Amino acid sequence: MNPKIRVKNVSKQYDIDGKSIRTLDNVNLSVESGEFVTLVGPSGCGKSTLFNILAGLVAPGNNAELFIDGELRPADHLLGQVAFMPQRDMLMPWRTVLDNAIVAAEIDGMAKRVAREQARQSIDRFGLRGFEGHYPNQLSGGMRQRVALMRTFMFDRDIMLLDEPFGALDALTRTLMQRWLLEVWEGAKRTVLFITHDIDEAIYLGDRVMVMSARPGHIKFEERVPLPRPRSPDVVTRSEFIDLKRRLLSVIEDESLKAFAAMNEPTSNPSI
Amino acid sequence: MSILRTAISQALLVCVVLVLWEGCVDLLDVSPDKLPAPSVILATIWSDRSALASAVATTLYEAIIGLLAAILVGVLSGIAFFRWRLLERMFLPYFVGSQAVPIIAFGAIMIMWFGNGIASKAVIAFYLSFFPIAVNTLAGIRTVDDGEIGLLRSFGAKPRKILLKLQLPAALPSIFTAVRLGASLALVGAIVGEWFGAARGIGVVLLTAMFDYRIPQLWAAIVLIGLTGAALFGVVASIQKKIAWWQTEA
Repeated sequence: MNPKIRVKNVSKQYDIDGKSIRTLDNVNLSVESGEFVTLVGPSGCGKSTLFNILAGLVAPGNNAELFIDGELRPADHLLGQVAFMPQRDMLMPWRTVLDNAIVAAEIDGMAKRVAREQARQSIDRFGLRGFEGHYPNQLSGGMRQRVALMRTFMFDRDIMLLDEPFGALDALTRTLMQRWLLEVWEGAKRTVLFITHDIDEAIYLGDRVMVMSARPGHIKFEERVPLPRPRSPDVVTRSEFIDLKRRLLSVIEDESLKAFAAMNEPTSNPSI
Repeated sequence: MSILRTAISQALLVCVVLVLWEGCVDLLDVSPDKLPAPSVILATIWSDRSALASAVATTLYEAIIGLLAAILVGVLSGIAFFRWRLLERMFLPYFVGSQAVPIIAFGAIMIMWFGNGIASKAVIAFYLSFFPIAVNTLAGIRTVDDGEIGLLRSFGAKPRKILLKLQLPAALPSIFTAVRLGASLALVGAIVGEWFGAARGIGVVLLTAMFDYRIPQLWAAIVLIGLTGAALFGVVASIQKKIAWWQTEA
């Protein structure tokens, strides 16, 4: 079977103040249908740029090729085809929880009434029952993030791109949200690509973990997570988990050091 | 509770000022030609109530027509400036320039063109209030960042949908800020318009009271203009509270 999504030779450079900065260098990756792939990497390695490309918002480099279900697609074909959740929740302050959750579905052409009805039916799953009529400014960070996730899930697409959805949450809320996300995902079986800074999160959630290099980013390392599902929270103490974590840590540390060095020496060649 | 207390203390302040005013005029024997006591002003308003009410209504009508036109044209031109950069570059400098020209300079012309009825005053009210609304609409639309636009694009939204679902709602608080300002300006516009030539309106009352040296009437007009302005502002502010109550997120 063809992978759900496959990208070849994605490269990207930006021109800032006349200097050209290469953020992505020949990224190749593929995600199977229904697979949950996590992507870790040092800050500034171009993870979010990669996501913007996969969401169709940014053009990939000249030689890039994007395949959906094995078929070559033009880059802008991805607009409206991928459920994208950026780092910030970007809830609309003038919309209630329910109406924020249906934004994507509404833009997709669903009648507001129908979308609201659907949202009401799945509101329990997102732990937002009783908050349908609340406005974002009345919600905690964890709840806002759940509304954003609900919006992403309600945009009924096979591919989901989640960009550090739990990055801003405290450790406890974060653990609960991870467990909850796995439950929701196991119920919906979507193809997920998930960016995170947190190695534990990457292993706990993923079928496969990919590590991106320091800028210019490319896929440096990838490994299947040898843990069965459903995963209980104590899976983090298993030896397979710890072995994989050790391997990932050493790769990521290398890359983080490179990123750190590049950050502290602005005069150095950015393409080390 | 605290809202009620604030309201009571504010009302109390007004009462204290009125009592002091009354007392000072009384004790210091100030001539009513210099400063009439509040009781005299109130009595004047009461005895002329039907004429004054219709004068206020006329002026308010002119101001509101002008303001509504300014909201319509202002918001639409804000949108147009946003959609077509060239339009902004072509028109905006002239709009800014036009604001530097005191409307007084054109008052007489407006009366000649639009007659001494309601139209000329509404045009002046429009002229004064439309610019801040256009500029704030544009600025409000631009507060939406690329990330938020990108999110909607990723859902397949085209520019028109992005404008309607995201940029215009996001601009509402700043549009309302301008409309509040515009409400005061529109009232000024209507009154100044009446000074150039009108048969009716509170501006006319003010002017004739001044020429006839009827000081209590003059003060009655001033008080009513103040109250009208406050009421207009209050109405706009309460509409804003209803439909654009949220804080713009930085």
